[in-house]
This record gives sequence, structure tokens and C-alpha cells, in this order.
Amino acid sequence: MEQQGRYDSELGLRDLLSGIAAGKLEAALTALLGQPLRLVTTQGEPVLGAAAAFAAGASRVAVSHDLEIIAFLETPAEDAVRLDAAVSLLELFLQAGARYYMAARMHVEVVHADFEALQHKHALLQESEARYKLLAAHLEERVQEQVKTIDAAQRQLYQAEKMASVGQLAAGVAHEINNPIGFIRSNLGTAQSYVQKLGKMAGMIKSQTPAQLESAWQDADLDFILEDFAALLEESVAGADRVTRIVADLKGFSNVDQAEEKVVNLNDNIRSVCNVAATQLQDRAELLLELGELPLLRCMSGQLNQVFLNLLLNAAQAMTTPGQIHIQTALANAQIRICIADTGKGIPAAILSRIFDPFYTTHDVGQGTGLGLTVSRDVVVAHGGRIEVESRVGVGTTFTIYLPVNPTA
Amino acid sequence: MAEFDETNRKITIKLVYYGPAMSGKTTNLMRLHDILAPDLKGEIMTLETQNDRTLFFDLLPLGFHTPSGWLVKLKLYTVPGQVVHDATRKAVLSRADGVVFVADSQHSQGINNSEAFQNLEENAGRVGLDFDTLPLVVQFNKRDLPNILTEDEIRERWSAAPWPLVFASALVGEGVKESFVKLLEAVYPVLDKYCALGVTHGMDMPAFVNAVVGD
Repeated sequence: MEQQGRYDSELGLRDLLSGIAAGKLEAALTALLGQPLRLVTTQGEPVLGAAAAFAAGASRVAVSHDLEIIAFLETPAEDAVRLDAAVSLLELFLQAGARYYMAARMHVEVVHADFEALQHKHALLQESEARYKLLAAHLEERVQEQVKTIDAAQRQLYQAEKMASVGQLAAGVAHEINNPIGFIRSNLGTAQSYVQKLGKMAGMIKSQTPAQLESAWQDADLDFILEDFAALLEESVAGADRVTRIVADLKGFSNVDQAEEKVVNLNDNIRSVCNVAATQLQDRAELLLELGELPLLRCMSGQLNQVFLNLLLNAAQAMTTPGQIHIQTALANAQIRICIADTGKGIPAAILSRIFDPFYTTHDVGQGTGLGLTVSRDVVVAHGGRIEVESRVGVGTTFTIYLPVNPTA
Repeated sequence: MAEFDETNRKITIKLVYYGPAMSGKTTNLMRLHDILAPDLKGEIMTLETQNDRTLFFDLLPLGFHTPSGWLVKLKLYTVPGQVVHDATRKAVLSRADGVVFVADSQHSQGINNSEAFQNLEENAGRVGLDFDTLPLVVQFNKRDLPNILTEDEIRERWSAAPWPLVFASALVGEGVKESFVKLLEAVYPVLDKYCALGVTHGMDMPAFVNAVVGD
């Protein structure tokens, strides 16, 4: 840039005349003056015309450019008018030359500046491209990390929901057990007083007369006591049986997380689940069981219990008015088929395809995580089976589970 | 900074007319060419124009000799005002010794004025000029038109600015010389410090101004 000169730096005589054919200019000026001529710099260096100086007495006229004398025109010609015309002509050429030089150099400067700006932008772009390449390289890794995080969060949520439903179950079970325990306790209290009365009677038998005994028997109302004692014991035994059964059902449930496979008859599982859920169903739905003959199945029994309970509770929640839940089991084509049909409000077609999606829920916030059906499907698929759903709004919904009898998976 | 050529006993000063497109920078130069009468006055060189719009720059050379026998040359440039010619504007502004900012007084030009002024400040920084010490005069041109801001409005808006404010109508020649003189007065102290104009060359400020304007 510097050696080429800036647009506003001073220009020399040779620069200014460089674009002009020297021979033609000299010929034109010679014709104008009628005499030979030479143009010399202020230092006396010849630039145009004769190399040697003219004899003494020749004319020497200053040629100006940019407010300064830049050259001298030397010629034997003496005509002042012609000399003026020649100088004017030369000055116009110099001005035109300067104009071209300045424009050209300005153009170069501007192009150079634009190019530098472009290169700077290019460098910035390359930098950002490199950043994006790096980002892309790590993207896969980061996505996997995110998936892991989401997975963990999903599990935690489901665990939390399960804890909540276990809590609900526990409340139901406590209520269920409380009732028989209550009357068993009360019966035992009554039995104690009966035993006291019988003890008194035993003392009398040893010392009193038959008449006195008869009267005491009547006073103590021992006929009733004998009758009631038997009934009371019978009732208590039934109550204790009920508690035993509930506890047995709960036990079936308590091993949900045991990853051990068991050989079970799924009909037993379904009965047990129905018992566990009974309290939550009693006001909403009537349970109709139609359990066909099923072969034994090696499976994660606890997990399947969870699936049945999920579907059963969903069915109960779908009831806007008390209705029916119909559970059917059957064996067909080496597959166990379990149908759980309700007469609830049904699922609109628009959302039917989404109900198995994780976190999709129609319940209010806090009422469900939207994971129940997702996990149910995962469990069924893990057993090599599949789950299907059919629903009509206002009529009801049917979930059908197919489980292969000899899962290959 | 002014070029100080000891060998040829010459000082070259570069002054730039800056401002938004169509504010009257070239007109200022043309009027100065008519009005001023220094020892030496060149023709206006107009470089590359298209539909009366400056593409590169205009140039008016002025000059005089000091009592000490030195030649002082002043080169007055205009920049192209259109936004797209920023690289050219930057090249013209480089090495400037002083600037006249020509603003357009019309109501509609407020945004253009402020954008151009901001551009001046930015470009001054880019070409290595210290904007805080750069001699600068602000001229509000086109006072002859209707729909212009009043002088009071302009004074109020620029009240916090340290630069001389001149109202002009370059088309009829008003305020053009005043703006230029104000710039010479702002440039003189810097030149005097740098080239010892007063002590060495016998030019005090009034003498310097008179020599340039030719009064």
C-alpha cells in the first residue's frame, strides 16, 4: 500500500504523464508552438521532447500542478499566446492524470479495506464453524446423557406414584382389617364376661340345690349365653379368616419388585388383585369375573399384578356413574387373553393413540404421572405379549392383554 | 496529521467535509471556491459522480506562502454521504486535520444526521483519530428551506456538545465561510503546536485565517 502511494499523496511529473503517448503529445505541442520543445522537471531532468537543452535565450515557462510548479516547458518558440496555450494544455493533461490516479488509488484502498473486512468476517465464520463441528461431535454423547437423566427422572416419578398408590391401598386394607378386628375384639370381651358367669355357675353347682341352681341359671340367662357363645366364636373365626385372606393378598402384592420369576395361575393373581382393590371399587363399579381355564405361566407375577391393578383402577376412575367392570380370561392360540372391560365414559379417538405415551395424562395435576399405562405396556412387552385398547365414548373401554404361554423372549 | 515537508518547505493540511447524503457538502466546497481568495487556489476536482451524488470525493486545493517562505497547502475534501460508501468515507477521513460536519436542518433528516455523526465518531476511531481532540465544526445547512428545525431547537439539542455550531445556507452562500473560518481557528492551535506556525513562520491565528480566506 505504502510503496504504491495513497490516493492523497503527492504525485510526480512522470506519474501524471504515464498514461499519455509521449510521441503524440510532443508532436501536437510541436505543431502548436511551431518549434521543437522539451519538458523538464524542477530538478532539470528531461521528461518529454529533446534530450539536450536548447541554446541560451530559449523560452522557459513554468507548468503548475496542485498549486506548485512541477515542470518547465523549454522551447525556442517565443509567441506568448502559443506558449500559454501549450502550458494550459499540459496543465489540463496533468490534472486529468491526477484525477485518474486518485480515483484508481482510492479504488484500490477501498477494495483492500473491503477485502480485509471480508477476511475478518471469514475468519469469524471459520471459528464459529469449528465451534459447531465440536458441538456436533459431542451431540450424540450429550443426547445420551440427557436420555439417561430423563430416564432416571421418569423412574423416580413412577416410583413416587407407586408409593402413593401403595399408600391408598394401605388405607383401604387398614379399613378392611379394622372391621373384623373390631368385632373380634368386642366378641372376645363378651366371651370373657361369659366365662366369668360360667365360672360362677360352676361354683354353685358344687354347693347349691337343684332349685337354686335352676333359678341362678335363669338369672344368668345361661341358655342365651351358650347359644351366643357359639355364634360369637363362629363369627370371630370367619373374621380371622378374612384378615388372613387380606394379608395373603397383600403378600402377593408386596413382592412387586421381586425380579424373580414364579409359576402361577393368572386367575389367582386376578382374584387377589380384585380383593386388594375391592375397597376402591365398591361404590363405583360391580366386578364381574368370568375366568376361564388357564395353564400355569412362568412370569414376573408381582409386575403383572401391578398391571392388572392399574387397569382395574383406571376402569374404576372412568366411571361417572356406578357401572360394571367385566374381567374375562381365556386361552386361545397358545396365548392367554385377559380382557378388562368397563362401562365408563370412554376415551376420545383423538387421544386414544397417545394414552401409552410417557407422561400423557388426562388427570389433574397431582392425580397421576401419566406413567401407569406406559409401564403396564412395558411389563406386557417384557413378557413377550402385547396390549390393545378399544374405546367408544359414552359406552366404555376394553383393554386386552395377550401373553404367550411359552414366551420366547 | 498535517504533512510537514522540511526539504520542500511545505506544510499540507487536510480538512474534510463530513455528513449525511445530500446535506450540501459539495455545495459548501463550490461556494468556498467562489468566495475565498487566497494566494493560490486550484480548481475543484470532482471524482466519479453519478446523478450528482459523490462516489469517491471532491477536492478543493488552497494555498499561500508564509513570511518565512514556506508553502502552506490546504486540501478540502468531501466524503460520499451514502451509507453504502463507508469504506471510501473511512479512506477520505484518514489523516484529517479537521472536520466540518454538515447536517441537514430539515425535520425529516434527524435520524440521518445522528447516524452520520455516529458514523463519523466510529470511523475517526477506526482510522486512528482522537475524536475528543479532533478539530470539529458542526454546520446546520439548508436554513433557506421550509420544514426545518428552529435554531433554538438545534441549540438546545446540541447544548452539551463542545463544538462550534454554525447555521448555513450553502446554496446562497450563507454561513459557509463562517463554518470554514471556525474550523481554521480550531485547527490553528494544533498546527501551531506541531509546526510552530507563530514563532518560526510568523503566522499568528488572524494572519493564518486571513491568508487562507484572502481578506
